[in-house]
Amino acid sequence: MTAFADAFHELRIGWRRRTTYAFAAFAIAALAPLAFGEARTADLAGGLYLACAAVGLAFAVGVAGLPSLAQGAFVAVGAVVAAHLLAAGIPLPLAAVAGGLGGSSAGGLVGYAFARLPRAGFAAATWIVSWLVAFMLQSITWFLGGSEGVVVGGGPTASGHYELALALTGLAALGYLALARSPIGLRLAAARDREAAAAALGVPVLRLRVVAVAASGAVAGVAGAFAVQLAGVGDATQYGPFLSFRLFVVVLVGGALAPLGAPAGILVLGVLSVAADFVGRLENVAAARAHTLLTAIMLLGIVSLGWEGIVRAPKRRRRAGPGSGPDRARPATLEARALGKAFGNVVAAQDVAVGIAPGRITALVGPNGSGKTTVLRMLAGTIEPDEGSVVVAHGSVARTLQATAVFPTLTPLEHVLVASAGRRSRAGLVRSLFSTPQARAEDAAYVAHARAVLDRFGVLHDVPAGELPVTDQRALMIAAAYATGASVLLVDEPTAGASTVEAARMTGLLRSLRDEGLALLVVEHNLGVVRRLADRVVVLDAGRVIADGTPDAVAADDAVRAAYLGRRSF
Amino acid sequence: MAVALQILASGFAAGTVYGLVAVGHSLVFRLTGVVHFAFGELIALGVFVTLLAAAGNEPVSQTSVAGARFLLALVVGLLVTAVASAGAYFLAIEPYRARGSVIGWVGASLAVAFAVRTLLVVFFDRPAYVFPDPLPFRHVADDGFWHVGGATIQVRSIFVAVAALVLAGLGVALLQRTRFGRALEAIAQDFDAAVLVGLPVGRLVGLAFALAGVWAGLAAILAAPSAAFDVDAAARYGLYGLLAAAVVWFDARRALAAGIALGLTQAAVTSVHLGTLELGAAYRDVVPLALGLLFFAWRARTTTEVFE
Repeated sequence: MTAFADAFHELRIGWRRRTTYAFAAFAIAALAPLAFGEARTADLAGGLYLACAAVGLAFAVGVAGLPSLAQGAFVAVGAVVAAHLLAAGIPLPLAAVAGGLGGSSAGGLVGYAFARLPRAGFAAATWIVSWLVAFMLQSITWFLGGSEGVVVGGGPTASGHYELALALTGLAALGYLALARSPIGLRLAAARDREAAAAALGVPVLRLRVVAVAASGAVAGVAGAFAVQLAGVGDATQYGPFLSFRLFVVVLVGGALAPLGAPAGILVLGVLSVAADFVGRLENVAAARAHTLLTAIMLLGIVSLGWEGIVRAPKRRRRAGPGSGPDRARPATLEARALGKAFGNVVAAQDVAVGIAPGRITALVGPNGSGKTTVLRMLAGTIEPDEGSVVVAHGSVARTLQATAVFPTLTPLEHVLVASAGRRSRAGLVRSLFSTPQARAEDAAYVAHARAVLDRFGVLHDVPAGELPVTDQRALMIAAAYATGASVLLVDEPTAGASTVEAARMTGLLRSLRDEGLALLVVEHNLGVVRRLADRVVVLDAGRVIADGTPDAVAADDAVRAAYLGRRSF
Repeated sequence: MAVALQILASGFAAGTVYGLVAVGHSLVFRLTGVVHFAFGELIALGVFVTLLAAAGNEPVSQTSVAGARFLLALVVGLLVTAVASAGAYFLAIEPYRARGSVIGWVGASLAVAFAVRTLLVVFFDRPAYVFPDPLPFRHVADDGFWHVGGATIQVRSIFVAVAALVLAGLGVALLQRTRFGRALEAIAQDFDAAVLVGLPVGRLVGLAFALAGVWAGLAAILAAPSAAFDVDAAARYGLYGLLAAAVVWFDARRALAAGIALGLTQAAVTSVHLGTLELGAAYRDVVPLALGLLFFAWRARTTTEVFE
């Protein structure tokens, strides 16, 4: 009973005006079959199945930032699978599940193959996939019976399909919402904003993108399965690249960052098709053609106005609660021995040994081009050393990128949640989708922990990070690295371009992390800062370690003076 | 041997046209970071406007148009393509490229593609068109065909291949030897720096879009009389060109080679019999696209540094 009371309480405090509107819209929409005839209702149901597929696409486009042009192909896969099963007498629900599995496998495959590409490449690849599937449906008659189609009988009435489609669209929208708010969605959004910075915080970018494309493919597959039953025939000509384009337009028009954007986009397209009928009759042009033209022209108009869609992204609120947040990092050491790395003929590092101990700050310094960044990237595991080894005893490593690499559209709170998501145990796909009590409790505990971390680093919680002052953005990236729970932090130029006051704030923060027992390596240009901050200094020149010791000892070293001759001395 | 010769003869000509389109895709991508999804449709526009100017909207036979009128039609067709390409760039692509909105330019260039396609389908609504041929290839050899070593070679296809290669060579010369070409190279290497040193970047890129359209359109018009023609055929040029350009990540020289490879693959699919296995014309799109995508996926997963 208490679980229900809790859930009700949560629902009540989470309720907003937007939620009321959404519910009202669905309730009114559910009454539509009363007002329209059977044939019109069937059309509407078909439109809603499209809306459902578009909600899936909106997740890939909006949250993950992947311009997928293969959604129509995933719908086709669901339709083919379902058409064959239905023709063999399998009941509709099972066929729909199979269609969803087919769609998600196709999506997963496309994601696995192409999610590593830059966005332009991903768009090109998915576009070609769309064409390939269309050609396959036309030339391989086994799929959908070629020009004759596969006839699918039975199934619910048009009104039944309509209500089913409405419910399915609602479910897809709820799934979008749950996933977008979950650690999966947050980390995808971080990778969408800045891929390199997300990867540095330990976000498994590629894997999550595959999940995103597979999830959107699953929704497309289910929608395709139901839609082919509604149509009564699997028609190969229905699934061309134009379907993918139309779904993309729907998402763009309706808004990719809100779960109900896609249904709103479908509504606009529906109104447009009525207008196209009218224009077509006036100009004696087939309605389908007028429709395509109007869709294309409208899209051009909409995107050229910098339109962000009918339904905008909702404000995100997060509730903190009791419970166990992440544990504190255990003390750990990092030992690098005999590291070597060459890029072609250029030797960037040779026989470099660095040890990072808990409760100590080690500074890595050297003139420009001395190999600091290469060494840092080898320590972080971003690039493989040609020689030597990096050993981290019981703990993990996190790295911050130079200066301001925040995710501009995420709030500081979300930054910290992105970073700590890797430590969560109840934030998988299924738990996130169904928002289980355990997942919600863990969520609340991690939010509480994140707010505490932000207070400690002196950063505001709930404004877009892109609007923070630069000095807060630096503190935020270190806060995020800290929140990954790594015992070893690699900090790249924390004070580059900072004023004296800002530099003092950063050194204070780094000292407090050292006093907590973390092992820190700081790459720093400002030698004054190094002298005040570091317990130990490693000096690189031309890829080799030329000095290693306390700041004072290193400052007195002749080799170091020679390397820095003409530069600033200690 | 005869089979290999047959594949080479029928695949090479189509491949050079794909290759030239791929070079156009590469040029556009290098300059702007944008994938030109409307390229195939703009090529179709060039071909159909040429047809309209040469023969009106009536059915034509291969021989019914005189040389002078055809030349005039060619100029009109290429002009329209050039204007439409540059217009598409300024109206639909540049605003989003400037804003860094990938989703925006993807949507906008697809919208141009479908708008042009629909317009063409409305005006040219017969399923396939015969394109007039001003050059008398049908009088050469055996009614325009050579029979060499068991293979049948369309004389015309040799002309198309040579013409496309000459166009490619001219393009390279234009890019490497002229001030215009060097300016484009500067823009491709660093767009913002090119703006800073005072190059009229917008105008130059618009001109490059127009030229890419003219080059590929010319190749398509030269190839058009070889077979029946429709909007989809031109869209395929755009698609195959995109695939060829993408697998080599928009490197212009390799794109030409990749296009030729795609053309040869396509010819192989239609003419090879392996024992009882005969793929035939039904698979002429499926197999090359599938193989190309597999290769693209393999490259995307193994050689990430290339894709920048």
